[in-house]
Amino acid sequence: MKLIKTAAAIALACSSSALMAQTIQIEITNLTHAQHFTPRLVIAHDNSVDAFEPGVEASSALAWLAEAGVIDDAQNPDSSGQNFEALLGPVDTDNTSNTWHRFGGLVPPSSSLSYPFDTMDKPYLSILSMLIPTNDAFVGLDSVKIPTEPGTYTYMLHAYDAGTELNDELNSMRTDIVEQGGTPLGGYGAPGVAGAGASPVPLGVGGTGVAVKVGFAQDGTAIGANEVVDGTDGPVHIHRNILGDTSLTDGASDLISTEHRWLNPVARVTITIPAS
Amino acid sequence: MNMNKLTLALLPLVAVLATGCGGDDGDNGATGPAGVAGVNGTNGTDGVDGTNGSDGINGNLAVFTVQLTNLTYAQPFSPAAIVLHEPGFNTFIDGESASLGLEQLAEAGDPSGVMSEALAATQYLDAVTTDGATPPKSIGGATTLLVPLLDVDDLRLSLTTMLVNTNDAFTGLNAADISNMDVGQSISFMAPSWDAGTEANTETADTIPGPAAGAAGGGGASAGFSAVRDDLFDLVHFHQGVVTNENATDASKEGLSSSILTEADRWDNPTARIVVTRTR
Repeated sequence: MKLIKTAAAIALACSSSALMAQTIQIEITNLTHAQHFTPRLVIAHDNSVDAFEPGVEASSALAWLAEAGVIDDAQNPDSSGQNFEALLGPVDTDNTSNTWHRFGGLVPPSSSLSYPFDTMDKPYLSILSMLIPTNDAFVGLDSVKIPTEPGTYTYMLHAYDAGTELNDELNSMRTDIVEQGGTPLGGYGAPGVAGAGASPVPLGVGGTGVAVKVGFAQDGTAIGANEVVDGTDGPVHIHRNILGDTSLTDGASDLISTEHRWLNPVARVTITIPAS
Repeated sequence: MNMNKLTLALLPLVAVLATGCGGDDGDNGATGPAGVAGVNGTNGTDGVDGTNGSDGINGNLAVFTVQLTNLTYAQPFSPAAIVLHEPGFNTFIDGESASLGLEQLAEAGDPSGVMSEALAATQYLDAVTTDGATPPKSIGGATTLLVPLLDVDDLRLSLTTMLVNTNDAFTGLNAADISNMDVGQSISFMAPSWDAGTEANTETADTIPGPAAGAAGGGGASAGFSAVRDDLFDLVHFHQGVVTNENATDASKEGLSSSILTEADRWDNPTARIVVTRTR
């Protein structure tokens, strides 16, 4: 999917949650070895909203989330009109079919964050967050019925491939390669973690591409030697994991095979329904 | 002789004196004053001690069997530490650092530290280790644990066993709820695999205790436990799988050339099945 990708790295975004009545507690735990979770999109909704569905092509909103971690205009104005804010309506508002919130900051590996969330009495809950560094992997909670009995409920979440970008596993900060036609990579490829909370695992450079090679189109025909094609591999499906390699300077991938891989499940979500 | 006669003669005379007075009797005298009370008697001696009560009868026990199946292709499981306990105890918690006992189990396949940590917990009820290792692709023997009947209503099962052809991978159960099982009932759990986070996943012969390392000239207990904690984060988390040395020398450089593991040592989740049956 062709997006305006200007963000070369995911920046930390902060946000506060509105405390209202009918509030549930949502805890998310990153179970991976070395993948960070981008800001979380939490949606309470009715059955007319489906943020993602395996076997169905991703929306542009899902592409922005899975490729760049972007949920709303405040994170990246270039996503305006295409992101989840455009799809769902204003944040922290009863949009009739849904209400949503972006919980800012990153969830590093082996850590948990917990937030209160006002469901505004919507019956279903979905949660999405990008795994970085990947091309377009995201962790998803797919429309679970929000329990009504007070108690604590646990869900194990899998990693999905949005299918909107080929898994070339090339570092999006690279300048020695460009998108086919000459556009700088920008947000294309696998963005790393910038700023505070950066991963202790560095991204490599010099990879030749995994699912698609630098200098070749998706069908294998030659293109510019320093060009990489922006293809798709949808619809949405369970991610087949990254390949990575053991070199920071060459090899196939700019990701690290000893660190960046995962096995499902990749996250645990615990929902606490308070006694009313 | 004469003396005897005289005595006999006197007897009638005495009889006449006793009965022969014809006058009226005099009036009885007034009752005298009561005597003073006697002093109290001394106390009796103490009674002997009662006999001891009879011995109590044994409380009723619930009996559980736990059976471990190794679902992997080529990862033997070390002897598993199986613990039945009340809520509030955990062999490990993902996102937190591993205990020393878990580090020893996950790096060297030694369950004794986990067992002694469980024994020290107030929530401890019973624990046992499996009889040796559980080979790949095999169903292990059933182990038996006993729990007082009154604890059955809030009961947890924890199990940990190492994937021995790894640096510090383990599988098992973390305080799985097996409360209120009926006699004869079975529950089956499919288990993922965790990384203890206590050892870098170097996949070298001198850091892995299992047969794969042994075949490469390493392995054994000396290649197992090291007190050094050198993983990316010293936190228990889900394992990412092993990289192995496949494709280490081609242009992709995907594999890890220093690894002594092969693609056969890989796995995917789940790695273990644990079947719990209440037999009494």
